[in-house]
Amino acid sequence: MKNLIGWGVKPVDSHVNEKNDKPWSLKEKLFLGLTPGQYLGQALRNPFNWILGIIFAVGLPLIAYRYLFGLGAVTHASNDYPWGLFLGFGLFVMVPLSASGFLLGTTVEIFGRHDFEPIERLALLNGLLGYFFAVVYLLVDLGQPWRLPYPMFVSFGPAAVLFLVAWHVATYLSVQVAEVSVAFFEWIGWLGGKRFIRRIAIGLTVSGIILSTLHQGALGALFNYAPGKVHPLWYSAPFQWIHFFCSAIPAGLCMVIVVSTVVKKTMAWRCDSNFSDNLDRCTLGLAKGASMALITYLVIKFIGVAHDNEWGYLATGWGAWFLLEMAVGVVLPIILFAYAVRHQVVKLARLGAIITVFGIALNRLNTALIAFNWQLYQEIPHVFEVIVCVTIFAIYVVVYRFLLYRLPILYSWKALPQEALAAEAVKAAPIRSTGTPAGAMYRKID
Amino acid sequence: MSGISRRRFLAASVAGCAATTLAGPRKVLASATFTGYPDGMGVLVDLTRCVGCRSCEAACNKEQKLPAPDRPFDDMSVFDETFHGGKQKRRPDENAYTVVNRYNPENAAPVYRKVQCNHCNEPACLSSCFVNAYTKTEEGAVVYNSKVCVGCRTCMVACPFHVPAYSYSSALDPVIKKCIFCYDTRLKKGLPPACVDICPQEALTFGKRKDLIKIGHQRIETHPGRYVDHLYGEKELGGTSWMYLAPVAFDQVGFDPNPGNEPIISHVKDFLSTVPMVLAIWPAMFTGFHLLAKKQKGDDDHEHDAEKQHGDEGGEQ
Amino acid sequence: MSAKQTLTTLIMALVLIAMGSVVAAADMPDQVSLDTMVKYFDSVEFDHAMHTELGEDCSACHHHTTGTGTSDERCISCHAESEAVADVSCRSCHVAARFSADQINIVSSNVYLYHIDKPGLKAAYHWSCVSCHEQMDGPTGCQDCHARTPEGDALYREDVSGSPIAEATEH
Repeated sequence: MKNLIGWGVKPVDSHVNEKNDKPWSLKEKLFLGLTPGQYLGQALRNPFNWILGIIFAVGLPLIAYRYLFGLGAVTHASNDYPWGLFLGFGLFVMVPLSASGFLLGTTVEIFGRHDFEPIERLALLNGLLGYFFAVVYLLVDLGQPWRLPYPMFVSFGPAAVLFLVAWHVATYLSVQVAEVSVAFFEWIGWLGGKRFIRRIAIGLTVSGIILSTLHQGALGALFNYAPGKVHPLWYSAPFQWIHFFCSAIPAGLCMVIVVSTVVKKTMAWRCDSNFSDNLDRCTLGLAKGASMALITYLVIKFIGVAHDNEWGYLATGWGAWFLLEMAVGVVLPIILFAYAVRHQVVKLARLGAIITVFGIALNRLNTALIAFNWQLYQEIPHVFEVIVCVTIFAIYVVVYRFLLYRLPILYSWKALPQEALAAEAVKAAPIRSTGTPAGAMYRKID
Repeated sequence: MSGISRRRFLAASVAGCAATTLAGPRKVLASATFTGYPDGMGVLVDLTRCVGCRSCEAACNKEQKLPAPDRPFDDMSVFDETFHGGKQKRRPDENAYTVVNRYNPENAAPVYRKVQCNHCNEPACLSSCFVNAYTKTEEGAVVYNSKVCVGCRTCMVACPFHVPAYSYSSALDPVIKKCIFCYDTRLKKGLPPACVDICPQEALTFGKRKDLIKIGHQRIETHPGRYVDHLYGEKELGGTSWMYLAPVAFDQVGFDPNPGNEPIISHVKDFLSTVPMVLAIWPAMFTGFHLLAKKQKGDDDHEHDAEKQHGDEGGEQ
Repeated sequence: MSAKQTLTTLIMALVLIAMGSVVAAADMPDQVSLDTMVKYFDSVEFDHAMHTELGEDCSACHHHTTGTGTSDERCISCHAESEAVADVSCRSCHVAARFSADQINIVSSNVYLYHIDKPGLKAAYHWSCVSCHEQMDGPTGCQDCHARTPEGDALYREDVSGSPIAEATEH
């Protein structure tokens, strides 16, 4: 892509093809204004796509195999460990990493911190895709995935924590679709839809906070059903849901930092100056928030240990593993973030973020798989499970990339003059200033 | 309010409240104090009587129309089978709702133990199921409705006895498989389950749960030294319908000695109580934050300065 | 011995044998066919006559129902003076359908019933017989006393052949 741009190709970023003053067709928008030949060429030249190709060649048939022959064909079919990587990673890790949606939504819309707006849309998209693919993982894991709507419409078990998770994830997905749809409506040119969503933005954001608090906590509360099965250092009867909710905050914020770093390195051509110029500042801001949440998390984890008088466990093998998770996944990022913010070293913040992401992932995998059934034998997931997980993650990355290439997430969509005038009449969404002279014309009108 | 008169609104509210209150007294089952249906049945499993003949496994297999086993039911070599590096004995799975295992406690004769669903008074599986697939029947059996099960397998995570199994081998209709107390074929008709019926040693005593508690304690009293003075399942986890008597400490024959007397649902009640609080408090709280964060310049809450967007590195938080 | 002494001995022996037979023949079967619960196993052809010679007295199997009293500590307080009952067969007291609804209701509703834990017929046979056989090297295997019927073979899945036992690595 970089090469093509170097040769003068300009990817779509407005309704009208500036070269011939004709509006882009949907097909042209999908191909980013390139000819199909050019598009295919740049896709084939990309080495990352070769890796994806290998993953799909192995993984997609395996996913079909899972559906044709049942879960027993791709897992160890364990009755003692009913949940494997599909839920352990796909649900329990992906969901906290997708907390970015409500976090940045709250920051910008509720607390009025519009200085974070340049990454708000990326965070919203991160949240949407993370939850969407958590549901995809769920559909691979469920014994009868075609019955997914059952707790919504057919048979209710309202006393179950999972009932809450199901309803909240379904509702929250709708909220996130609505929030991301602003970018989509800009892209396809339906401003009516965009205006409608912007009008209910506060309501959507508050709903998002409520739903996220509850279902991030509920995922933790699921382990309250198995108090004897999770090792005491990873289980706290009164606080499990708080631990999960609190750790979701640094998870979401750091995932945004990680994704924005990846984007900056691999898709710089798609980022406009509004994004690129503000990214470092926003990154440090996110790092500050993440470090405060991490410190809080560290404290409440040790409150949990104290509350149940579990200090003795720290001297065991499991205790050493717990302390390692805390040291590397929580304390180390705190130190890195503190230094990074103090001395304005963005690279350290990014390093701290990727460590945090792995730390949260480790915590969830520990709770759900490794320290689960700690008094029984240890279960190692089937290699097919690993392959399917990686494959679905690859699909997630592909979809992520597809949307980031096209929708105005990393760049600002240039509105037409008549749209700008129409926007004057109503309380409209902020159209971000691009800083260019042309962009100044489309600055947000009150 | 437009479109609806105040009078009509008031009338509708009163009607709504009346309908709710007059809808009839709702059955209020206070959980964690539920001690079972009064005439619920149970089974007393006496581990001093079991000789490991496996007739119960055979009878269950026939009654529940389960597939053929790998080995005949009078093959005692299964007691030497272990799994997962020697750490695990046999357990119920999709093809066997009950198994008998042998334990060799120190300084004592071998003890044989029958494993099956314990049909708890406050089952964890039932509490955790989000499609209400489980029912605790009046007869005492905890039964399962495979027609609504989505296959989330939370019940398998929740069961403190690791009982429910899943038919992972099925692609089109995988479901939970567990002992159902022969509910459909026998319990509903007032008959004992197949395993109880066939046991030659009467290691399994069938009766009303409240009577079995009396019988269990009477046995301990009248045979001093034969039993550990504890009826396992009388109080554990809120009480189970299948209870055990053992000649040695329960942890030596595969039981968790301290699961607690609280039913599993009591561990999630605190969180579930938080839910309506969050639903009620968060809207006002965050709308409040928003209003507080808004600058007092008219109605605008999306104002932002172009200057602030650019190059203001690190000065702002 | 003289002819007269021989004849006297012979007559006395005959009389004793006759007396013994009279005593023995008083309602005591030589052979009992235990066939109340034939389904998966055939009836047990029980040699009662042989067993009467083994025990000290009838109470070893019949508790106190033959009027011979009991030495069991748990029973003495009520049954030391109990008289013989009309029917001393096991099944007259130990019910075959031990867990029928009727039996359960009797246990549940009769507050004056002490023996709420009385075993059923099948358990009574097995406890009584096998416990003694274990001590006296008698038959203890299932088919040593009663052969399995074809229905029993089907129940225990004799049609399935087992593999040699090896430690399974996958469940």
